[in-house]
Amino acid sequence: MSWGCRCAAIFPRPVLMTVVLATVWGSFADAADASDTSVPITDRVPRVLILYPYDERIAATTAAGEALRSRLLEATDGKIDLFSEFLDLSRFPEAVHVARMGRYLAEKYAARRPDVIVALGKESANFVTTYRITIAPDAKIVAAGFGNSTAENIDLPDDVIGAFTTFDILKTAELARRLQPNARHLYIIGGSSEFDRGWLTAARADLEEFSKSYETTYLEDLTIGEFIERASHVPSDSIILALTVFKDRAGRNFIPREAIRQIAAAASAPVYGPYQTYIDYGVVGGNTVTFDILGRTVGNLVIDVIAGRPVSDIQAPQTNIVDARQLWRWGLAEGNLPPGTVLMHKERSLWEEHWLAVTVALGVVLMQAGIIAALLLERRRRQDAESRSRLHLLEAVHLNQSATAGALSSSIAHELNQPLSAIRNNAEAASELLRSGNPDLDLIQQILLDIQADDQRAGDIICRMRGLLKKRSEIDWQEFDLNDVTSSAIHIIHGEAERRGITLNTNRPTTELPVRADKVHVQQVVLNLATNAMDAMTDSESARILTFATGLEKEKAELRVADTGNGIPQERLCSIFEPFYTTKQAGTGLGLSIARAIVETYGGTISADNRPEGGAIFRVALPLARREESGR
Amino acid sequence: MKPVVHIVDDDDSYRTATARLLSAYGLKVEAYESGDQFLARLPGCEPGCVLLDLQMPGQSGLQIQRQLCELAPLLPIVFLTGEGDIKSGVDAMKAGAQDFLEKPSSLTVLMETIERALAQYERRHAEHERLQELRTLVGSLSAREAEVFRLIIRGQLNKQIAYALSISERTVKVHRHQVMEKLGARSLAEAVSIAAEIGLDRRRGSAPE
Repeated sequence: MSWGCRCAAIFPRPVLMTVVLATVWGSFADAADASDTSVPITDRVPRVLILYPYDERIAATTAAGEALRSRLLEATDGKIDLFSEFLDLSRFPEAVHVARMGRYLAEKYAARRPDVIVALGKESANFVTTYRITIAPDAKIVAAGFGNSTAENIDLPDDVIGAFTTFDILKTAELARRLQPNARHLYIIGGSSEFDRGWLTAARADLEEFSKSYETTYLEDLTIGEFIERASHVPSDSIILALTVFKDRAGRNFIPREAIRQIAAAASAPVYGPYQTYIDYGVVGGNTVTFDILGRTVGNLVIDVIAGRPVSDIQAPQTNIVDARQLWRWGLAEGNLPPGTVLMHKERSLWEEHWLAVTVALGVVLMQAGIIAALLLERRRRQDAESRSRLHLLEAVHLNQSATAGALSSSIAHELNQPLSAIRNNAEAASELLRSGNPDLDLIQQILLDIQADDQRAGDIICRMRGLLKKRSEIDWQEFDLNDVTSSAIHIIHGEAERRGITLNTNRPTTELPVRADKVHVQQVVLNLATNAMDAMTDSESARILTFATGLEKEKAELRVADTGNGIPQERLCSIFEPFYTTKQAGTGLGLSIARAIVETYGGTISADNRPEGGAIFRVALPLARREESGR
Repeated sequence: MKPVVHIVDDDDSYRTATARLLSAYGLKVEAYESGDQFLARLPGCEPGCVLLDLQMPGQSGLQIQRQLCELAPLLPIVFLTGEGDIKSGVDAMKAGAQDFLEKPSSLTVLMETIERALAQYERRHAEHERLQELRTLVGSLSAREAEVFRLIIRGQLNKQIAYALSISERTVKVHRHQVMEKLGARSLAEAVSIAAEIGLDRRRGSAPE
């Protein structure tokens, strides 16, 4: 215990550590005599004064005091007056201060005499036995925090009730043996101060039997460097018991746990010690009295005193206390620990502590993860499906283009023949003219110009044909005038229309109709509608007229394609854009559905209707491209 | 008189180029941009042959051909076509087209086709002239002689003719001699052949012009 150590350091007299149970029983016997004068306090809230030997920063006394306070408050349900006084005797050990403190407290508590005074530590016990008469002559004194041999040394009056703490090195040794059943060597470390020597003497006696099973070495009369050096070279099957090192052979003073820390850090075998304060300083553990247990023990004692129950000296129960981190460091099995051992710093795994909550949480998390994964997968699949469907649309459009090109191929070939034939004949004519004696050079000049014009014409036709067959792996967005695309589509089909005896009519475009889409796709829509219309007029008896009209309609660019065929039967108007719907013998039923798919891809609409004067009319509306966008 | 090649094609550049080519080879050429234009100017046309585009807006080549059969049966028609459209080709040949010319065609093929068509025109023209002469001869027969001629080519004997016309056999012989003399026929077979050529055969009267 920290303050046990410190008080020993401050008071140079050695404290003999007593171990044997018989002593405890003996103390109980003594206490029985001292307690027969207890009277219960009933008329008011009991007052308890706690005397701390040092200032409030000393963790050990404060921890024990806190445990005591909370035990008292808990047991009395808060109906208790608690006073604390910090005597500060380590910094002010002078007799003047002690006397002044005695006077001060006597005056301070004149009006409220405590019923019980708890003296923590030997110094407080000494103080209170001296000044009890002036501070609280009738109060019961409870002294705690030192061994009962110390109590004898300081001449504790018989009516002072003790809650003694005894540090038992044998129990610590037995703890070590349980943890290291295969150990063959035993080392005991002790310093060179009086206290240290006293401890060593006591340990020799206590461990006499125990040490017979080991090759035992007492490391004493060494400097701190030598301690460290020796400890770092012990065999690995060793048990090292650390008592206290207040002073080394060179006379250097230590707080024992600091010395032990240095030794334990270098040691090649586990180090054990009988103090709670050694925990955290590199020792595996030991048998000791914890602050908490001491506080509770004293608390119970005070409650008994207040209640007027007979009380006597008691031993604060000892416990084995072990640092789980050190067990791990030395590979010692937790299962070998004696029952009731307090395992410090054991990071109880989350699983051990909250397995149900963890399971549930894990389940929820897994489920969420599953759902998230499923959703992500779904999203991914949807994206894939969308891109696939777009790709399919592009494929379908391409097939549609090829089909259109195929259907128009003979009329396009015919159209191409005209300029080619003209070029040929012009060239033949020119060469014949040149062969004659007096060639007409002006005519030849004209012929060459005509050849150029025809060549241009043929090139244009091929260019349109290529556009018709152009394959897209993705949409080529561009802004263009719907009028231009319509007229280029008309160029493509005019040969076919001529072949079929169909007259083409177009309105003169009055205004520009900028739209944003893929030009080739929109052209394909026009071609599909035109092809559809021409097919519809195949069996028509009346004049075959195909009319194209473009214009602005409700803020949209609109194209109308009208024919003079037989029209669409009313019941089929709604299904005409469905895929594979066809009334033609050779039709695939895809032309109109592809036209709709294209138009809808670009945010437009397509509709079919019958004209009152006969024939069908198809309307395509595409959103206008915004001017400012085109400006960029 | 030089025969003229009439080109009927809606495609300006082809029409012009072909006209230039044929002119360069010394042919007389007239060009028309549509069948209707050609038909309108037909009465004043010089004979020769026609290069007729099969596919034209307005009246198609085949429709024009039908009318030309009526209006100018002697004019050989060569169809111009951009593609081997078998059905229209068969129709055209059935309707009496002279030939087919695929666009584009080589100079040789073009010139040969045109020469063939012009030769054909010459033949048709000569034949037409000959028949015309024969018809004039037949027309020069007196009424009685014509009656006798009709019966002769039916293979009737003088006796039967005399009986049919209620005239003497001797008179029949005189008429018969006159007929053979006027037609320049040296035998009955020749006379029958002439009658067949002008389409008289078993019908009454002269063949229509």
